[in-house]
Amino acid sequence: MQRLLQTALGFGVLAVAAALAYGAAGIRAEAGYGGVGPNFLPWVVALALAGCGAALVWQARRGGFEDMAEPSGSAHGHWPGFAWVSVGILLNALLITTLGFILSCALCFALAVQGLKSAEGMPQRSVGAWLGNLAIGAAIAAPVYWMFTKALAINLPGLTQTGWL
Amino acid sequence: MGTWDLLLQGFATAGTPVNLLWALLGCTIGTAVGVLPGIGPATAVAMLLPITLKVEPTASMIFFAGIYYGAMYGGSTTSILLNTPGEAGSMVTAMEGNKMAKHGRAGAALATAAIGSFVAGTIATIGVTLFAPIVAEHAVKLGPPEYFLLMVLAFCTVSAVLGQSTLRGLTSLFIGLAMGLVGIDQISGQVRYTLGVPELMDGLEVVLIAVGLFAVAECLYAVLYEGRVVETQNAMSKVHMTRQEWRRSWPAWLRATFIGFPFGTVPAGGSEIPTFLSYATEKKLSKHKKEFGTTGAIEGVAGPEAANNAAITATLIPLLTLGIPTSNTTAILMGAFQNYGIQPGPQLFDKNAALVWALIASLYIGNVMLLILNLPLVGLWVKLLKLPKAYLYAGILIFATVGVYGMRQSAFDLVLLYAIGLLGLVMRRFDFPTAPVVVGMILGPLAEAQMRNAISIGEGRWDVFVQRPGSVALLVVIVAVLVLPRLWKWRQAKSA
Repeated sequence: MQRLLQTALGFGVLAVAAALAYGAAGIRAEAGYGGVGPNFLPWVVALALAGCGAALVWQARRGGFEDMAEPSGSAHGHWPGFAWVSVGILLNALLITTLGFILSCALCFALAVQGLKSAEGMPQRSVGAWLGNLAIGAAIAAPVYWMFTKALAINLPGLTQTGWL
Repeated sequence: MGTWDLLLQGFATAGTPVNLLWALLGCTIGTAVGVLPGIGPATAVAMLLPITLKVEPTASMIFFAGIYYGAMYGGSTTSILLNTPGEAGSMVTAMEGNKMAKHGRAGAALATAAIGSFVAGTIATIGVTLFAPIVAEHAVKLGPPEYFLLMVLAFCTVSAVLGQSTLRGLTSLFIGLAMGLVGIDQISGQVRYTLGVPELMDGLEVVLIAVGLFAVAECLYAVLYEGRVVETQNAMSKVHMTRQEWRRSWPAWLRATFIGFPFGTVPAGGSEIPTFLSYATEKKLSKHKKEFGTTGAIEGVAGPEAANNAAITATLIPLLTLGIPTSNTTAILMGAFQNYGIQPGPQLFDKNAALVWALIASLYIGNVMLLILNLPLVGLWVKLLKLPKAYLYAGILIFATVGVYGMRQSAFDLVLLYAIGLLGLVMRRFDFPTAPVVVGMILGPLAEAQMRNAISIGEGRWDVFVQRPGSVALLVVIVAVLVLPRLWKWRQAKSA
């Protein structure tokens, strides 16, 4: 399994290299005096990554990546927890302009806590716990929001135009 | 004006109540992020980069330097007190300090770490004060070929020398360089790799990459793999060293400072090598060899902690005088300078003398603040370790959002943030180093510009890189850096 994943990773790097090469081919080569134009480094990077990808595949097939440190934590991932956190981050991206920073981040916080707690083996099922986490999230996000919008005058989206919510 | 006058002026700037407050705030946040697992100085500085939009440069650089420094102090508290299975063996300070704490000597370990950090940090700051202007003076004479080769040297050391595997280090580096390519080419104005997305015209934001790779990836890793990891905490004891512990500590601090400082100054970056070297030295010289790895030897904490701080401080020399970052955090500090339109390099000491000297002066001040924050107040920080992990990581996501969204006000960036987080997750699981990505991304465009300028000067000929003694010398160093460690390994394998 590990070897299969490593091989896939190597092929992934090769794919990135191919994409970079495709992009490099589309960059015009106006070298000017130098003889080295804007497409030079893209080609270097694409070729180097192709080399790295090929070497990674080769190492993976020959018994795995060399000198690997044992990854910390458990051998198998807790995917439901991962899904909760992912949904939290992506919903935040989707909702931040409509719900405003504070509410959107509070939601992201509550979803992430749910994911992390379920990974610890104690998912929260009661409505109270959810509401509590939403409140904690808002209590962290609100001061941050006020500090950035009021004290530093940095734009963060709000639900209203007041700058307080 | 002499160094002394400039430094005094720096103190005058750094000593204004507002700037002192920024320094204190930076040191406090730095210590906190050092203590908290899952978030480091690079992430913290990256998440707070949006403040560069409003806060004036001197104040924000003082603030960021405080975070950079403070995290080193705070980090030792965690490694001494917390038993994180799987990670404890990888860091040498964690090894001895943790052993001492397990045998009821947490207080002495914390004391020697904090005071050692202070001693080494202060001596190294004196070093920066004395040597940085000299380096800057000589660096003015470097032309594009030498600059390009210096940057290549930084690339080589950060990707090929540090970390476990050269291949994975290089892969990371080229991924970083590829990220740096996105956007408008500085020289020709051509658009590269934007896929028609207008948000990508200005290139990828450093904040986005750093926060994604460190903060979001850390959170995803924690939920995916570390939910069942149970951490235990060692009991605190009074923060105090006996006379004998003092006698054993101070020579280790001094030796380590002189090991750490030179490593920080050369673009061979990172503090891993000097901390290991210092640990090995102390183990060899100690009269208490039996304590190493068993009950915990105080020299084994004092040395590496001091070496770490000296090296970290000294990395400011290549950053400020050459504009070459050699670690994650210095790469992001460089991003902060760039946000102000300031390019670190030899001219910095002329053009922005007030800023540079205020920054250096603030290092002296910050060290004193950190000693106070970390010795009498260490009990407060220990309480942070009790924070439930679920809330800690979920909270980090809120700060990640502030950093990334605050920079460009684009929800698209938040989606990219998640994608970069996934990349970081894969890299972490398969042991790819992250520093080369960040350094490659920040330094890549600059290195490309220097290379193309150099070749323009040479009228299209590549031998421009071997025409001057300086660049030849650098080429030799680059080859040595790449070849010598391998030869060494090969010889050891042969003799074993």
